[in-house]
Amino acid sequence: MKRIETTIENVTSDISHFYQPELYHFIVMNAVDLGEKIEVQWFFSDYEEPFEIIAFCAQLTPDVEIPSIRDIVSSAWVAEAELVDLIDIKIENTAKGFVLESDSESGPLRKKK
Amino acid sequence: MKAGRYERKNKMAKQYEIPVGAQHISLLEPLHFKFTTENEKIVGTTANIYYVHRGIEKACCTKFKFRQVSFVVGRVCGLCSISHTTAYSQVAEKLIKIEIPPRAKYLRMLVVELDRIHSHLLCLSHVAENSGFEALFMKTMQYREAFMELLEAVCGNRVQYDFSIVGGVARDLKQEVARMITERLKYFKPQLDELVDIFQNNWTLGLKNKNAGAISREDAIRLNVVGPFARAAGLAVDVRNESQELLPWKDVGFKIVTETGGDAYSRNLVRLREIYVSMRMIENIINGVPASSLVTETKAFPDGEAVVRIEAPRGELFYYAKGNKTQILERLKIKAPTFSNVSAMVEGFEGNEYGSVPAIIASYDPCLSCTSR
Repeated sequence: MKRIETTIENVTSDISHFYQPELYHFIVMNAVDLGEKIEVQWFFSDYEEPFEIIAFCAQLTPDVEIPSIRDIVSSAWVAEAELVDLIDIKIENTAKGFVLESDSESGPLRKKK
Repeated sequence: MKAGRYERKNKMAKQYEIPVGAQHISLLEPLHFKFTTENEKIVGTTANIYYVHRGIEKACCTKFKFRQVSFVVGRVCGLCSISHTTAYSQVAEKLIKIEIPPRAKYLRMLVVELDRIHSHLLCLSHVAENSGFEALFMKTMQYREAFMELLEAVCGNRVQYDFSIVGGVARDLKQEVARMITERLKYFKPQLDELVDIFQNNWTLGLKNKNAGAISREDAIRLNVVGPFARAAGLAVDVRNESQELLPWKDVGFKIVTETGGDAYSRNLVRLREIYVSMRMIENIINGVPASSLVTETKAFPDGEAVVRIEAPRGELFYYAKGNKTQILERLKIKAPTFSNVSAMVEGFEGNEYGSVPAIIASYDPCLSCTSR
């Protein structure tokens, strides 16, 4: 797995410079609770060299809103909606209630303090 | 979540919203679609998938030791259980830095391919049922039953096999079971030929499936579609074609199958042709399975992070795991194939007649048990 470290401010420009639909396949987004911070990851594979998985990684505090990449990757709204429900992070233009019902416990995958 | 790229032609026409699911006669999975229709034509679709979330990822990172997790993820899905246990075992083996014995690799491939055949036959039987072809549904389910029996003979269980474990496989392949598989495959070949003939040439099935739920190759690329859904649209993506490091798919005769129509009819044909490929691979595995131990033993604990992809019957299954040198994983992420296909499923309905919805849904072969976890 090839990690590309980025920041929340730069992630959309980094991904838009990198992503070309004919060359790269968007796999999914993931988030890991690191305690004080959360690491958000955007996974891609290369159609030409598919064994190499590329992960854009950005760390943030939970109160920061993450910019959506759905204008760059059309299908990313599904992964964004999942993270909003399961990790309880804020993503631009993404509401709760896709993977979990809107009255479910918030962020079940977050570590409890 | 809404998609709305279909252009309204008659702006005076009345629009109706029709809910389908979470429980519906043509839906085998608990998901909910709401179709906006205009003179029977679907002009907008929304979807919700939250009905069966079970918190499996959470349980895997809190309640179970990393060696037990392969048994937990085997319960993610009854249809592609072996894909989950194999993908998890592979990602855990990366974290503890071991290589499994060659016999275990071949036996994993054997069960994955047997599983693919039964899953594809199940999908095709549902296509037949949702197209109103009850006799074909029963015939296809009858053929599938032979593979359920073979999986039971190899793994000891019809579903949720617990066959792949961290370090290798849990059971060996007995000689009499290998003979049984070879004989069943010979017996099944003319039955499969008959199914292909029906799905390819039957007029009624053609009416329901040709041009239904079509997506183009460009849309498949744009929406990052995976599995038979993508291959039916001409997008040649299959993890077995891409990665030989963890399992030697090409050594046992893997060949990618694609069609160009992108519709339900093409998806049916892709699945049927993939069954031929799986049968050939199973024969090669049985003839070439090397002699070795079944498990690589180690007392290491998972450390670092790793990802694995495997081609499940519905497409690319992705596992991410992070270890912290303890028995309990820091994070486990599962991305099921249907999850990648949700966007295309929503868009694929638009422009179709509402009456085609059952056949289209069946051809998508959605698995919400995997998707929601």
